[in-house]
Amino acid sequence: PAALPRAPLGFTDVNLNSRNTYEVSRRRSAPEHLPHGGTAPAEPAPPPQEPAERARQRVGIAGAGSSFAEFFTRNFFTKRTKELKPAVQSAPGWKLFGKVPPRENLPKDSKIIQQEYEARTGRMYKPPPSSARRKNIEFEPLSTTALILEDRPANLPAKSVEEALRHRQEYDEMVAEAKKREIKEAHKRKKIMRERFKQEENIASAMVIWVNEILPNWEGMRATRRVRELWWQGLPPSVRGKVWSLAVGNELNITPELYEIFLSRAKERWKSFSETSSENDTEDAGASVADREASLELIKLDISRTFPSLYIFQKGGPYHDLLHSVLGAYTCYRPDVGYVQGMSFIAAVLILNLEEADAFIAFANLLNKPCQLAFFRVDHSMMLKYFAAFEVFFEENLPKLFLHFKSYSLTPDIYLIDWIFTLYSKSLPLDLACRVWDVFCRDGEEFLFRTGLGILRLYEDILLQMDFIHIAQFLTKLPEDITSEKLFSCIAAIQMQNSNKKWAQVFASLMKDNKEGDKNHSPAPKS
Amino acid sequence: MGSAEEDYNFVFKVVLIGESGVGKTNLLSRFTRNEFNHDSRTTIGVEFSTRTILVGDAVVKAQIWDTAGLERYRAITSAYYRGAVGALVVFDITKHQTYDVVDRWLKELYDHAEASIVVMLVGNKTDLAQAREVPMEEAKMFADNNGLLFVETSALDSTNVEEAFETILKEIFYKVQKQKQRSSQSNTVSLASENPASTAPAQAERRPCCVAL
Repeated sequence: PAALPRAPLGFTDVNLNSRNTYEVSRRRSAPEHLPHGGTAPAEPAPPPQEPAERARQRVGIAGAGSSFAEFFTRNFFTKRTKELKPAVQSAPGWKLFGKVPPRENLPKDSKIIQQEYEARTGRMYKPPPSSARRKNIEFEPLSTTALILEDRPANLPAKSVEEALRHRQEYDEMVAEAKKREIKEAHKRKKIMRERFKQEENIASAMVIWVNEILPNWEGMRATRRVRELWWQGLPPSVRGKVWSLAVGNELNITPELYEIFLSRAKERWKSFSETSSENDTEDAGASVADREASLELIKLDISRTFPSLYIFQKGGPYHDLLHSVLGAYTCYRPDVGYVQGMSFIAAVLILNLEEADAFIAFANLLNKPCQLAFFRVDHSMMLKYFAAFEVFFEENLPKLFLHFKSYSLTPDIYLIDWIFTLYSKSLPLDLACRVWDVFCRDGEEFLFRTGLGILRLYEDILLQMDFIHIAQFLTKLPEDITSEKLFSCIAAIQMQNSNKKWAQVFASLMKDNKEGDKNHSPAPKS
Repeated sequence: MGSAEEDYNFVFKVVLIGESGVGKTNLLSRFTRNEFNHDSRTTIGVEFSTRTILVGDAVVKAQIWDTAGLERYRAITSAYYRGAVGALVVFDITKHQTYDVVDRWLKELYDHAEASIVVMLVGNKTDLAQAREVPMEEAKMFADNNGLLFVETSALDSTNVEEAFETILKEIFYKVQKQKQRSSQSNTVSLASENPASTAPAQAERRPCCVAL
């Protein structure tokens, strides 16, 4: 009795510590549900002495009187630990709430566990006879046998009625809480799984339509409403490259043979480049040669900095040489454009979806589109036109945010340069970027700017709270958890109409203004 | 602790320029987040970072613009120099070519930025000392002759990164102070890119700073 006032402290500690011991012993009390011949023990069974040893230390630390502690460990733990070993070997261990992580023999185990649980709950207390519980049986919080509900060991004073009642109530609350949480999480998981299945199903059925119906009748069907709608949903990865190729087209009439020619030319240059650069610097070489070599050097540098997290394009990676080849061939094919940073990202995305020569053909044709050509030639005045057109639709769609940006003189070039140069492949998660590319291939350059506005719309509320530097930081490093559903619903909400003028018309009128402005103010031809 | 302590809070816009691949982005991430990334992505356009440091009793917020190093981009990035009070011109000590073009970067800078801008020449990648192509004395002399601050750093092993940014921010700070003393009004600091007192967010940011330390 002298030790009693301290006992609860030590007792709680011991309970937590020896929970497994207790539960295992409980399980043994229902041997008909024990799994027979379980081959995978849950965890290496600890030496029988160990828990008792630890518990003894803990009890000692908790400050229980020595005589009590000795008595306690001797009489309580030695008994329990004797039971521990065989039981642990035949069944997985338990956590207070929820199942232990899945194991190899899980399907069998979980069923047994459930039976066992039912048997136990049936024995321990009568669950509310609700049919909801039955329905959600798979969400039942398993292994919720907290000691709180049990009577104390015989050698300790019994609980009072009130205490027992309170413990029962607390226990029920804990169970209810855990159950609620588990049900919620399970629902969430199920929803995600359902969505994923649905998505996969959609992709599979869409793929059939693309392969069997659309691709064989490409020219006739590409502009139909049905195809356009299907297109918006995202292209199945297996036909993505093909559809991109078809949509981008081959105005330049590049053949795989032509690619080979430019590739071999590029290879010659790399060879001579590595020879000359080892001898001497480019002192007596012409400026153009120096530029070309700098460009080759830059490609080398940038390849390792293209999607570094994928470890595909880095030196030694499977697509390193491919990316090098496509970019090198392009600089030989279009020396007037050369290599410009941002290209490596575009080429990389194409390589991920197309065969080498097809990737090159798509790359060259894509970069030949007016918008891409303006950007990759770094034609500043043209770029400003694109930014101005973007701002027209920005103001139209998001007037509040537009004014907010204006108040900080935050111009669209700050974020659009990165987005447009890399076609969002650097700033959005890759799968999402590919979906943007899908519709970009359908709608053309307009969609690039619409996507930009969709991003601004998605984060409008956050951006309205930010000042210049935070907006700039945010937009040049977008959150990684951005989802395609949210982004695409925001993009869909962006109207590319400005007082009945579409993007192309707005852009054309801006170009016209420019020409008239040139006539009036600066007759000298622009460089 | 005078009545003018409002003016001790500054936002300094600093630009990072120099050839592609010299380590600008990693210098910045080392300074602002103490991070280094062996495979950082190519910077396209411009990226941003901030860090607040204490200069004397003043809380100085460095707003650093990390620009793309590609020459072709210069037409567009030159707009980013506007309002900058400091610039780090970075080269790679293991690549002479990146040092050779420092002249061009400086010209670019002085064409678009204010003449009073504080410029620091930074030779990065000292961790690769065995591959050094640019002797420190040479770069130092060049910096002295052109009125630039000079430091050699390693973003990889952190050598002098903190010092580089602190030095330039201090230098800017003293320059601003001198200018302020010269002009009677306190608000005509042409060097400062923004007046932090004028905007609510900046004010809110200032409060939690530990000026008392």
